[in-house]
Parts: sequence; structure tokens; C-alpha cells
Amino acid sequence: MDHRAIEQFVYQEARLLDSGRFADWLALFAQDAIYWVPAGHDDIDPTQHVSIIYDTLPGIQKRIGRLNSGFAYAQDPASRVHRLVSNIEVVSRADDAIEVATMMLLVELSRHKQTIHSARCEFLLRREGADWKIARKKVNLLRNNEVLDSTPYLL
Amino acid sequence: MSAVMQKDIAGLIRRDAVHRSVYTDPGIFALEMERIFDRTWVYLGHDCEISQDGDYKTTFIGRHPIIVARLADGSVTALLNRCRHRGATVCQHEVGNSRFFRCAYHAWTYANDGKLLGVPMPAGYGPSFKREEHGLAKVPRVASYRGFIFGSMAIEGPTLEEHLGGTRKLLDDYCAVSPTGEIEVFRGYQKCGYDGNWKYQLENGVDPYHVGALHRSAVTADAMKIYKEGRGRVIDMDGHGVTDHSDWGPMPVDAGLTGGFNLVLFPNLILLRSQIRIVRPIAVDRTEIYTNVVRLKGVPEDVNLQRMRDQEFEFGAAGAFYTDDMEIFERSQRGLNSSAVDWVVFARGLDREQRQGGYLTSDMSDETQHRGIYRRWKQMMTAEPAMAAAE
Repeated sequence: MDHRAIEQFVYQEARLLDSGRFADWLALFAQDAIYWVPAGHDDIDPTQHVSIIYDTLPGIQKRIGRLNSGFAYAQDPASRVHRLVSNIEVVSRADDAIEVATMMLLVELSRHKQTIHSARCEFLLRREGADWKIARKKVNLLRNNEVLDSTPYLL
Repeated sequence: MSAVMQKDIAGLIRRDAVHRSVYTDPGIFALEMERIFDRTWVYLGHDCEISQDGDYKTTFIGRHPIIVARLADGSVTALLNRCRHRGATVCQHEVGNSRFFRCAYHAWTYANDGKLLGVPMPAGYGPSFKREEHGLAKVPRVASYRGFIFGSMAIEGPTLEEHLGGTRKLLDDYCAVSPTGEIEVFRGYQKCGYDGNWKYQLENGVDPYHVGALHRSAVTADAMKIYKEGRGRVIDMDGHGVTDHSDWGPMPVDAGLTGGFNLVLFPNLILLRSQIRIVRPIAVDRTEIYTNVVRLKGVPEDVNLQRMRDQEFEFGAAGAFYTDDMEIFERSQRGLNSSAVDWVVFARGLDREQRQGGYLTSDMSDETQHRGIYRRWKQMMTAEPAMAAAE
């Protein structure tokens, strides 16, 4: 992937979440993917320190299944979310793997309350045949050591 | 004090209902801080968080910022995190290790046992200034049980063991899940907040009735068996709330939703599966919840890791269960802000609850444990200060 294709990939990832196309978003992930939102600070050891989210693919599937179930009351009504993605940088590049870092400003609106999250997102993209998949998405929230109000929407 | 005067407080708790102002009146909240959080035993933390000489953590008792420190002799002290000079907090970190705390403002410096070690340019204070009178204020009583450390702002009153009452056995059982009889916590907290009263969380921590309804999108059919087919009980245990589902066995090592119990230890500690949840009231309509994930000594690390992964999925700010709980706490606050209807109903099981093993208990979906919490609430909120000291 050249830089332009990488940009399009992370923009698409954000757009799928913003538009609630969770099944399409899930299809971006590799079978052994990790979706990780650290708690406390960005560089914790997730085997020794609790995280806000640490999902493997079955966890992501369950999370989405719940959101689509019609009984996830914390998303009734569903949040409206806008993501602004910028500062896209390639951190490392090999033939079959690219590490990409972005800055994300996420604005969520739920029942008159607007919440803003700033985060540095780290993606590990891996080539699988003709496709590139997300092997890891790590969302380093600026507020990850603060008290968070309910965050039932995907980050 | 606002609309509800002290003499009226007893009337806010009925046999089968609680008045909405208990959740919405800022005057009631201020009185709760004085009459509950300043008088009873409040959970501060676990031994393992401050295991080494000089370790400390910061926390709160009601509105008081507190430092809990491990001293060189192995004992634990709890200090008010407030410089005796002009009042600034002297410690800014959640956890750390230090033998002294220095206020940044004028560099008054205290030992970690609270003693004022020195002030810059001491001659300016003259001979009448007694340094020993200006140490960090101490939480009058600190005690622990099975590694759970509590503090009380009251000089006198029931001992910790008296306060815990029958729940001591549950704390024993909670530790006994570990093969060595000892528990620890993973590093870090899940920190959550909601715009609602703190007591919703106490009720919800021992409320089997809601699990199949509110958590329909998260609870498995298998786990629902303990509620639908079990013969578990809810218990008013000395004013603390318990749901006992040990008919499905003791609390499992994997912390799954089967046997064991949930415990709401009034006023600020909840033990539930692999969680130590600390309830921090901020305002009448704002609450913060700090949760530790418990790891067991003496089990394979992958078992502990799975305990944490399950809790992360289910609880915390993005948890499959907890987001719906916080949602309902906020909906409750919005509903109860209406003065059109006064009463919140806690009537389940009134006609079938009975005394068993010394405690009022009832069927798994009943509200006996909630009524017990509110009886305790009423007793504390209506006790005069002099009576409280003498009790």
C-alpha cells in the first residue's frame, strides 16, 4: 500500500464506524486481531494492568452482536459519532505488514450530551493474499486515566 | 439544608418504598457525607496495593482526600491529603512510594506517618508555633480485615469487625477462592462515572431481579440458570446487601456467573465476581466507580488473565453489562427529578421474606437486601452526633 492507499484505508475504517456498518467494519479485521483500548496510560502491559477494552475477534463479534441485538439499552437511542482522522504516519513498513499511527478526534452525541475523545490510534495492518487486514487496532485515549462516562459505542 | 429537614428524614424511608428526594436532594447528600461517610467504616484499598514500606495510594472518604500509606513498621496509616499550612493537597499521585510528602506551595514537608518534619525559615513562626501540632491530620481509625483496609473519620463507634458483622464470613469465602487464601489485584482501575445518585450502584450490586431484563443483550442463557432455576437467596446481612447463589457452588476460580455471592458492603464497597468496586459519591447526581480486578494467588497465570479479560468485556466504561447499568442509573435520575411521583418501590418479597440463620432473607428476585440497606441508611441519617459517638 502506498501512503494514499493507507490514508484511504484508515478513513474507510472510521467511516464504517461512524455510519454504523459494524459487520463491514468487522470484516476489516484479521482472524487473530486484537482491538485494544488501554486504561491508565498508553504503554501498559495488558497482562498486568487492566484495560478499557481488550478484545480478540470473538470479543469484537460479541460486542457487535450486542449492539445489533435491539437490547443494548445503553445505545437506545444509538449515539451519533463523527471521527476526524489526521496526522497519518507510517511507523514501520515491511512487505507484509505496515504500522500506521493516526490522530483521531471523536465527537459523540447521545441524548443531547456531546462527548469529545482525542486519541492516538495505532494500527498494525497485515497483508492477507490480495487484502490488507487489521491485525491490531490500539486506541490511546487522551483521557484513558480519567473517569469515563458510559462508552458503549465503538472507539 | 434544603427542603427536607432533618426531622423529616425518617419519613423518607417507608416499609416498602423510598422517597425520591433520597436520590435528588442536595441537602440530603450533604447530610449523607456527614452522617454516613464521616461516621462509618469506609473502604480505602487492599493490602496488596501498598505492600512495601513507603508505598502509598490516594483515595477519598466522602469528600475528604486521603493518603493511605504503609509505614516502616508494616502498619498502615491514613492521612488527610491537605497541607496544614494553607490547605493544598500534598500528594498528587494515585499510587507511589515515598517516605515524605512535601507541599509545593511553601515546602512544608511531612513524613509518611503525617509528622511535620520541617518548614522553610522556621524562625518566622516564633516560639509559640508547635511543629508537632501541625502534622497531617489523621483518619482517626484505620483497620483491616483479610487485607481489605477501611478507615473511619469517627473517633469512637463500632469496631470494624462489628461493622462487618456476618459479612466477615463472605470476605473469608472471597479470599478462599484462591488456593493460598490470598487475593491480589491487577494494576490499574476501571474508572467509570455516571450522572446519578451513588445509591443506585449499591442497589444494583445486589439486584438479581434486573439481570434477565436489563442485561438481556449480554447475559447467557446458561448464566440465567442461577436466577431462574436456583434456590439462591437475598439477605439483609447487618445492613449490608447480599445475594447468595452458593446453591450453585462456591465462587468459581474463573469468576464466572455461577456460584458464590455478591456483596454490597455499606457504604462504598462491592465485591462481585472478580471485582472490587469502590463507590465514590461526588454530588447528589454524580457518582464515580473505581474497580479493581482481583487475581488469585496460586492459580495459573492464564486463569487470572482470563478473569481480567472477562471483566474488561463485561464491566468498565465500555462493558457489555456495565454500560447498560450506567444507562439505567442516569435514566433513574432523570425520572426521579420529577416531583409528580414521590415514591420508589421496594416491595418485592415483603410477604415471603423470613428470618434464616439470624438474617432476614427472601427469594432470589426479592428486595429484602435493599430494604436492609435503607433501614441502615435511615438509622445513620437520623442518629444525632452524640448518639453516634455513643453507639
